[in-house]
Amino acid sequence: MNWFNKKIILSFFVIISLGFLAFFVIDKAVKSRLNNLPVISNIAKFELTNFDNQKFTNDQLIGKLSLVAFIFTSCEDACPIMSDHFSVLQKRFYDSDLIQFISITVDPSVDSENVLNDYSKNYSIKDNWFFLTGDLQEIVNLAEKGLFLSASLLPAGHSTRFVLVDQNGNVRRYYEGTDKTSIFEIQNDILTLLDD
Amino acid sequence: MNIRLFFRSALLSTILAYLLIFIGGLVRVSGAGMGCPNWPKCGDNWIPPTNVDLEQFNLTLAWIEFINRSFGAILGISIIVLCFLSVKYFYSDKRILSISFLSLFLVIANGVVGGALVWTNLNPFIKTFHMILALALVSSLSFLTVEAYKILSVNKFAHRPSSNINKKIIFIFAICIIIEILLGTGIRTNIEIIQIEFPLLDKSQQLDSIPFYKYFHTFMGFTLLFLSFYLYKIFSNHSLKIIKSLNIFILCMITVQILLGELLVFSELPQLARLFHTWGSSWLVGISVIYYNLVDYELV
Repeated sequence: MNWFNKKIILSFFVIISLGFLAFFVIDKAVKSRLNNLPVISNIAKFELTNFDNQKFTNDQLIGKLSLVAFIFTSCEDACPIMSDHFSVLQKRFYDSDLIQFISITVDPSVDSENVLNDYSKNYSIKDNWFFLTGDLQEIVNLAEKGLFLSASLLPAGHSTRFVLVDQNGNVRRYYEGTDKTSIFEIQNDILTLLDD
Repeated sequence: MNIRLFFRSALLSTILAYLLIFIGGLVRVSGAGMGCPNWPKCGDNWIPPTNVDLEQFNLTLAWIEFINRSFGAILGISIIVLCFLSVKYFYSDKRILSISFLSLFLVIANGVVGGALVWTNLNPFIKTFHMILALALVSSLSFLTVEAYKILSVNKFAHRPSSNINKKIIFIFAICIIIEILLGTGIRTNIEIIQIEFPLLDKSQQLDSIPFYKYFHTFMGFTLLFLSFYLYKIFSNHSLKIIKSLNIFILCMITVQILLGELLVFSELPQLARLFHTWGSSWLVGISVIYYNLVDYELV
C-alpha cells in the first residue's frame, strides 16, 4: 500500500507541475499578443474628405481602433479583395462603436465624392467605414511619411497593406490586405487591443 | 524474446503520446496554432527564428507550436522503434504487429493533419479531426502496452472470462466515453466557429448560441458517473490490483471531469480548465482500452 501511495503522490505532483507550466505558458501567450503590437509610430496630421463631403482629419482617429487601406475604385485586382476583407470585418464587428474602417483613394482625380459614394454602397453596411479623397500630394504624404507605405506609380502602384491604428493614433501593425488569413490576425489583434 | 523491452517501448510511446496530447491542448488553448505560419518548416528554417520582423512572427507562439511539432517527431521516432521491436519479437503475432504499424500510420497521418491545420488557417473541423486521430493513437498504444504486460505476466495471470454482461457494460462504458468526447468536441468546434463569425460575443452569449445537444453532454457525464459506480461495485473484489486501482481512477476521473466541465462554463479564466478537461478525456479513452483488455484475467 505504501508503494501505491507513493505513486499517487508522485502523479499528483506531476499533474500539479504540468498545471503550473501550462498556466505560465498560457499567461506568456496572452502577454505576447500585446507585445507583438508595439507602437510603431504616431500617425501624421492629415485632412481629407469623406464621400459625404464631410471633412475627416487625424483627430477622428482618437478614441477608436482604425483599419486603414489605400485603394482606388477602378482597380480590378487587389482593391476588390481588400474591400471584401474590410467588409467581412465590418460585419463581424458590427456591434462595436470602437472600430472604424478607412479606405483612402490614390486616384482622387477620378474618385470624386460621388464615385466613392457609389463604391461604398457595394461594400459598406454601416457608417463606420469612411471612403476618403483629397489632394493627391496630401494622400501620398500620408502614405509615405505618415504610414511608411509605398506610393509610387499611382494609382496602380499603391500599397496593398492594411494598417491597424490604435485609439491614440499610433500605428500598431501592418497586414497584407489581399491575404485572407489577415482577417483572422486582424480579428485577434482588435480583440487584444479592445481588452487592453 | 525480449518482451520486457517491447513492453517498455510501448509504455514509453504511450506516455509520450499523452504528453503530446497535453502539449497539443496547450497550443489550442493558448491560441498558438498559427505560431508557425507554415508547415513543416517554421518560417524559413526548421527552428523558429530568434529575431524577425514582428509582423510575421509572434516568437512566443512560434516556440509553443514548435515544441508541439518537435514532440510529435520524438513520438514518431519512439513508435518507429516500437515497430522495429514488434517485427523482431512478434513477427508471428499479427495482432501486435498490425497495431504497431497502425500506430505508426496514425502518428504520421496526424502530423500531416497538423500541417493541413496550418494550411487551412486552423479550420475548426480539422482541429477536431486532429484530436480524434490522437485519441485513436493513444488507444492503439495503450492496447500494445496492456498486451505486452499480459504476456510479461503470463505466469501470474490466468484468463478467466468474466460474465458476458459485465464485459458488455465495460464496452458500453467505452462507447459512452467516445460519444461524450464527440459531443464535447462538437461543442468546442461550435464555439470556435461562433468566435470567428461573431468575435464580440461574450462567453455566456457564445454558450447560448450552441444548440440543444450541449445539455446531452452534461447528461452523458452523469450517465458515465453512474456507469463507473456500477463498474466499481461489480469489480471491487477483482483479484488484480490494477483493476481495483483503475476502478477508483475512473470514478475519480469522471467526477473531476464533471467539475472541470462546470468550471469551464462558470469560471472567468477557463483555459486551464479546458486543457485538463480535454486531457482527462484522452486518459479515459486509454484507460477504457486497458480496463477492457485486463478485466478477463485473474491472479493465479
